[in-house]
Amino acid sequence: MALKGKVRTKALVAPSSTMTEADSEIIKPEMLKAYVWLQTSDDSIQQVEQEVAMFCPFICHEIHSGMGSSKNYPISLPSRVNPPMLSLILDYCRFHQVQGRSNKERKSFDEKFVRIDTKRLCELTSAADSLQLKPLVDLTSRALARVIEGKSPEEIREIFHLPDDLTEEEKLEPIKNTMDDPRIRLLNRLYARKRKELKEREKLKIVDVEEEHADERSVDDLLSYINGGNEDSKGTRGSKSKKKNRKRKDHHRTAPSNCTSTSNSTSSSSRNAVDIDKKESNDRESLYSSPRHHGNLIRDLCNGTKLLDIEDDRFGPEDDFDDCDLDDDIDPALKEEIDREVEDFARRLNSDWPERMQEILSLGQERRPLQLTTNGNGSLRRFTSLDQRQK
Amino acid sequence: MEDDSELDLISELPQSIIEAILAKLPLRDAVRTSILSTRWRYKWASLTHIMFDDRSASHFNDRIVVQDGIVNFITRFLFLHDGPIHKFSLSSSFLQSSPDIDQWLLFLSRKDVKELILELGEGEWFRAPSCVFSCKKLTRLELVRCELDPPPNFKGFLCLKHLSLQQVLIPPDDIEYLISNCPLLESLTLSYFDSLELTVCAPNLKYLILEGEFKDLCLENTPLLVAISVAMYMTDDIAEHFEHSSSCNFDKFLGGVPKLERLIGHIYFTKYLSIGNNQKRSPITYHHLRFIELYQVSFDDMKEVLVVLQLIVNSPNLQELQISGSSNTSATVGAPDLEFWDENFSIDCTLHRLKKVKLTDVSGVEHEMKFIQFLLENSPVLEVMSITPSLYLTDGRLNMLIDLASFRRASSRAKIIFIQEPV
Repeated sequence: MALKGKVRTKALVAPSSTMTEADSEIIKPEMLKAYVWLQTSDDSIQQVEQEVAMFCPFICHEIHSGMGSSKNYPISLPSRVNPPMLSLILDYCRFHQVQGRSNKERKSFDEKFVRIDTKRLCELTSAADSLQLKPLVDLTSRALARVIEGKSPEEIREIFHLPDDLTEEEKLEPIKNTMDDPRIRLLNRLYARKRKELKEREKLKIVDVEEEHADERSVDDLLSYINGGNEDSKGTRGSKSKKKNRKRKDHHRTAPSNCTSTSNSTSSSSRNAVDIDKKESNDRESLYSSPRHHGNLIRDLCNGTKLLDIEDDRFGPEDDFDDCDLDDDIDPALKEEIDREVEDFARRLNSDWPERMQEILSLGQERRPLQLTTNGNGSLRRFTSLDQRQK
Repeated sequence: MEDDSELDLISELPQSIIEAILAKLPLRDAVRTSILSTRWRYKWASLTHIMFDDRSASHFNDRIVVQDGIVNFITRFLFLHDGPIHKFSLSSSFLQSSPDIDQWLLFLSRKDVKELILELGEGEWFRAPSCVFSCKKLTRLELVRCELDPPPNFKGFLCLKHLSLQQVLIPPDDIEYLISNCPLLESLTLSYFDSLELTVCAPNLKYLILEGEFKDLCLENTPLLVAISVAMYMTDDIAEHFEHSSSCNFDKFLGGVPKLERLIGHIYFTKYLSIGNNQKRSPITYHHLRFIELYQVSFDDMKEVLVVLQLIVNSPNLQELQISGSSNTSATVGAPDLEFWDENFSIDCTLHRLKKVKLTDVSGVEHEMKFIQFLLENSPVLEVMSITPSLYLTDGRLNMLIDLASFRRASSRAKIIFIQEPV
């Protein structure tokens, strides 16, 4: 019955025209054809022949779950399917769902079908994928592969609007697909050299930092030495000198104290002032001795930083000699540093020597203060002259 | 152009599509996408289907350079690859056997590869390392030009569905063992085997393609076989073997394939089937056999004609028939026994579904003409019969046409197309 109806329809419409069956059915959409309603991402609703739409698995599933039979309950398609893409996809489905076509016809249709611009090709792939239309996804991805194949990266980036956001470093990594093409080998060598240069620059930066650290460490050493925190190296020296000084002390105790207290005071300014009289001769001698004494003086001051160390007072050329020997252990450069630091310290101490002396001497015997005072002027004068010089 | 401000077209596509696109590129181009942009840096590295062919090889004159290049590329590629590998296909005429290939196969065997295809160059055949046999998850194995030597403790590929061995050296016992110990085997292709006596025992086998010098073929347990294509080459000792053979080859080969839908036979296949075949009736009816294609059927040999008839008559649903005659007409075999044709077959020979018949290399010998007559008389729904005469037939064409015109046709719609130029 239905068949007869169809034939009649055809005859009525235009028997001589070369319309296909499908066309005539669209023109006269009678109850012969079922339709489904589809809603696209822009909320517009379309009416599509069911057998065409069923070619898409997604729509097929939706129909089976009861959707799409009327305008009020359309099948809402995934967001990646916009109206132009839907129209393309339906064209594809309409062609391929017809059974009688030969493989040759289908192939030819497919080839023409994907001759669209790349942007639409990408959109079409995306839309077909969301509708689970695998044959169309295969077709479009093959077409996209043909677009990519054989092109240079710049060309590919331009076609697909890819950002050129790899860093120079990353681009410099050796081409993984080198085929031992001598040109590529040369290029890789250039890249390798460039990478090496970059690395060297990095290394230098690190080295600089390390050297600074090294410097700081040595400065720290110096400071601790000066502050007496460094028991190990300096302590031995100190103790040695202590011993020697003790000997000297014994030795010189008998000698008359010709030296003025000034000399005593100058040399022992940084020392324990209790044994000043013992020091006096030594100090004077040291003051009037050869230029070497300057260094010795500082060294003695150094040694005498330990204010509480009474026994370190002794000075004398011999001592100095001995101290010299001891001090040979120090690295000359370090020595310079130490000397400078000590000088500074000495200056600072010298400036408040009188007050300190008074303090200390007030604890000691009477004679000393007298001696001091008589020579104090001299010494003070000396000091002031020194001070002035050094100020 | 306004396009410059548009978003990236392609990187937003789901990973499965990107992989589909990359998989369709030659491998070298796929790897080159790594310098397109940061997002593309390692998209290639998660490809699960890796196919390397000569499109990715650079072409230089020095073969060694090309081979080294390929070896370096694949080694580095595998090293940088990240993720599972389901398929690895290597097909290159530049590659010869090399220890690197063994290492790749070891790497792949640890990656649970499922499909492995290897086709190397024409030189010294590659000897498959034993790690190939420890790829437990293999579903497809295709090897060309290699030596297979299964280790003694090999228990078979339990997941293997497709096996294709072409120009493969393997001890004959091992090949039968291999086939019967792949329980899920659905498709078997054996090409260019020499002097093989093969018994196929594969309960799930559906597609069988054989090509080579087979001394003996027996399908012992292949109830589900759907399509068979056999090309049998002949050598002198095989011919001798045929003559001394006593068993019925037809039964041995086609006796246990009730579900057969397509049968294709080349070269000496029909001859092979004719040996030892005494009965006019085959043991089973091929209800599903719709398509028969037989080449090099010698219509001089009555036995071969009988084979063809037997097949046709026992295939009630045959739709398409293609027979190509053999042009090596041997010296006069004597007057052909034409009385055979006059006696009626005891069974109904009507071919109710036969629609299309294509006969090529028709030399017009008596049996052949009788055969055509038989077809025309017994095919009520025949639509097209195309006949292409043999190139060597020059004078007899007119006679042939006269005979053809005189034949009765059971089908009113039958068209006979006589093709003068060879197709």
